[in-house]
Amino acid sequence: MNRMPRHELPVVPTANLVDIAILLIIFYMACSNFISQQGGTMKLPKASGLEKLNEPLVLVAIDNQGAITLQGRPVGGAADVESGVSDLLKDKTTDEMRHVMLRCDATVSRRVFEPVLNAIVQGGGIVVAVGEKAAEQP
Amino acid sequence: MYKFPKKKMLGQDAIPTTSLADMMFLLLIFFIMTTTLTRVTGIVSDMPAGTKAQQPQSEKTPMISLHDNKITMNDKDMTREEMERTLKGMRLDQKSGNAKVVILATEGDVSYQDYYQTMAFIQTCGGIVAIESEDEGGAK
Repeated sequence: MNRMPRHELPVVPTANLVDIAILLIIFYMACSNFISQQGGTMKLPKASGLEKLNEPLVLVAIDNQGAITLQGRPVGGAADVESGVSDLLKDKTTDEMRHVMLRCDATVSRRVFEPVLNAIVQGGGIVVAVGEKAAEQP
Repeated sequence: MYKFPKKKMLGQDAIPTTSLADMMFLLLIFFIMTTTLTRVTGIVSDMPAGTKAQQPQSEKTPMISLHDNKITMNDKDMTREEMERTLKGMRLDQKSGNAKVVILATEGDVSYQDYYQTMAFIQTCGGIVAIESEDEGGAK
């Protein structure tokens, strides 16, 4: 009499799954940038012809209330920005290392943003003004 | 007297690693949800710092002035489209050195949106933006 052969269910090897997960976690930790460092509520200005940029190490932000932050910390005014930027860029020699990112709300008045812009330049920084790409007109 | 543990007892105190995979996947989900992989867009502007020099009329640096809702270029009122056409016609990308500089001045109430749009257009045309601001010592 012929007997049917016994079929065992194939087992999926899951031992290496943890290693893969750890590698992915390391990747995401290295690539993450958290929104908390980018200042308060902000509506970025729109313009055409903007290019994709690497994020500089120095960040100046002005929110819709006109509050100025340097590296995520509130500062009193343009004079503090100038001294702060000049301290942070003290040993920076290449142009790329002198990049200072300016995130400013689109509605902010010139009385607030212009002294800050001037302070970054006087502090030795190259302004990287962040904005959003406007839809190209036909 | 201290007694060394017997060999067969050693394996019993091993760290439990069965829940490690669950923890790893929770962390993984957290990072996937919170990561932004998009790069920022903007303009890089190496603005010249210093004081304005006296120039003869023929070599005057072009100057765009934004005030309230008006645009003036070299003391002539114009619309944004006219200003953009004039800037394009100047072929700043083919010039070098100081000839690339365009002074951007502001008066009255100007929003960062208007300023940014003008600055981005000067950059797109190949120009270098210089900001003019009044201080105790005069224009910068």
